[in-house]
Amino acid sequence: MSQIKKSLKIENLKKIIMKQEFSSMLILLVMFVITAVLQNNFFERGSIIRNINAFAPLILLAMGQAVVILSGALDLSAGAALSLQTCILTYVMKQADPVTGVYALILSFIAAVLIGVINGIGIGYLRIPPVIITFATSYIWLGAALFIRPTPGGESVSWFKIFYDAKSAEGVPALIKAIGGIIPPALILVLVGCLIWYFISRTKTGRYIYAVGSSNDSAYATGINTARVQMTAFIINSVFIFLAALFFVGQNQSGDARMGDPMTLKAIAAAVVGGIALTGGKGSVYMAIVGALILSFVNKIIFFANIPNAYQTLVSGLIIIAAIASSMAYSHMNKKAMLKESK
Amino acid sequence: MNPLKNQTGSVGLVQNSSLNAIWNNNKKTIIAFLLILFLFLLGEIVVSNFLSMGQILLTIKLSAFIALFALCQMIVIAAGGAGLDLSVGFTATLTAILTASVMDGQNGNLLPAILVALAVGAVIGLANGALIAYVKLPPLVVTMAMASIIQGVINVYTAGKNITGKPAPILELIAAKSTGIFPNILFLLLIVAVVVMILLYKTKWGLKLFGVGTNETTAYLSGVNVKAVRLAAFVISGVTAGMIGLLLIGNMGIAFKDMGSSYVMPSIAAVVVGGVSLVGGEGNYFRVILGSIFLQTLTNLLVALGWGDAGKWLGFGIVLFALLIAYVSDRRKR
Repeated sequence: MSQIKKSLKIENLKKIIMKQEFSSMLILLVMFVITAVLQNNFFERGSIIRNINAFAPLILLAMGQAVVILSGALDLSAGAALSLQTCILTYVMKQADPVTGVYALILSFIAAVLIGVINGIGIGYLRIPPVIITFATSYIWLGAALFIRPTPGGESVSWFKIFYDAKSAEGVPALIKAIGGIIPPALILVLVGCLIWYFISRTKTGRYIYAVGSSNDSAYATGINTARVQMTAFIINSVFIFLAALFFVGQNQSGDARMGDPMTLKAIAAAVVGGIALTGGKGSVYMAIVGALILSFVNKIIFFANIPNAYQTLVSGLIIIAAIASSMAYSHMNKKAMLKESK
Repeated sequence: MNPLKNQTGSVGLVQNSSLNAIWNNNKKTIIAFLLILFLFLLGEIVVSNFLSMGQILLTIKLSAFIALFALCQMIVIAAGGAGLDLSVGFTATLTAILTASVMDGQNGNLLPAILVALAVGAVIGLANGALIAYVKLPPLVVTMAMASIIQGVINVYTAGKNITGKPAPILELIAAKSTGIFPNILFLLLIVAVVVMILLYKTKWGLKLFGVGTNETTAYLSGVNVKAVRLAAFVISGVTAGMIGLLLIGNMGIAFKDMGSSYVMPSIAAVVVGGVSLVGGEGNYFRVILGSIFLQTLTNLLVALGWGDAGKWLGFGIVLFALLIAYVSDRRKR
């Protein structure tokens, strides 16, 4: 009896270790320890906030990308959409008039939904391969952003700082300042993102996203409106991008039509490192956070390794491709091992 | 019944069906032609002097570069598996920058420069192809990452110094000069087009390539080494991109950091405008050339209207989106 129990326990342990979630967590832990050792004031409040600020945008984009990947698609227009959002926000806002901030928020949110709808129509209803249609829309967003803001710049209302550093924001209720003083705004934005996904994942739509991602045809055959589900996934992604744009405008007080370009690849890589299968339907949106954290810590470690500036793009590109290749290889290996066991 | 009437009726029918056949066989070529014509006429109305011979030839010359980049895309797309190569523009930039100092304006140094371009293109193509065909990573993600790696290499190479060197005069002759009114690069493009069409439609390898693109499993079962064919497609793409780098520096006279990257989007759009299936298994390069001319004309028109970069990218994006809906959209009932 006890032997059976023991073997069962070992079986369970094996299953946990075999999961990619486990290895991702382990890698994150290692990265965390290395960074903590290298950065001597790592645990001070100031540097914790700085780190959260540096990591939050990628986390948000990776979560959005994860939703899209789970639904069986891929969004190459995420970075361009982010740039467009910062341009819209800073175009509408006038520093002298605090009310314009509200207009900007509303307009930017409408734009977010529109961006999601356009991508969603192309993929869900017109059934054009996601990669190529979002490649096309990424240039539409880029062109639109360049129309609004040919060169980086623009202005922002002063209360918009609540999305970056609540204490230095002006004309905001003391309560918001106090909350922002305790919890960094960037973290709040990430938590909002988590809450959004938490509620959606409890609904039918949440489960449909997985179903459509696993097998579009089977999902369709069981009566799921696959087109609408895919469009919903893209709208959710857009909302995550919107949240990231709020942070960027809060931080920089300006917009830039090309600032988001490098973020697309990083967000996809973060989702893959978090164990979300590019084939769709497999993985967890929360694990995208882990993936984004791993990539961010790696970036930090590179920074501490004193690599010259010129090498940064090269190294981060190499790391991204290595990360994607190794996670794919890992899941291949797991599949083979599982097949062997079932035999 | 009146037999005469009947006869004329049937004649009319025959004519109709042969017209239909021509239309059906060349639908996409005709559409591409009409689109180009439409743009030129629109340009002539909106901007004066748009339809002059010199302007048309200049447009065709500039579109030759897009067409050459589009060749890379077409081969990779023809191999199927959602193939696309986003690294071509960056590969070209890298070879241009590397060979600039190798050539140093001397014809005698052209051979080493070509070897450098070949090597750079082959290495990048091999890396792309290996990761895509053997590790089974999505082509877009791999080539996008490769693009950022190449950009990184360029940054490292050019860090803290000026890019020096000039192209060999032969390259300038090919890429920038004209014979009479015809730009020399047109002749090169024609030769390339003929070679490509022979390679794709008259050789065994072309058959294999289309086989792999049409149906991977069937190709595999008939004994085609699917992975090797895909790898070869990406190597061809890389090497071609490397060679285009030589032409780019020949045309510009100098090398600079962003000289090739802006060609990536048009090169893919040209394939779509040319009506070549993005699923793989076909490739008519002449239609792709038409697509390139269309895109260059569109650029000229938007620039003439003073819409600049924003208009160019917005226009390209919308055109690509619209044509994807027209050609790729799969609205059939399930």
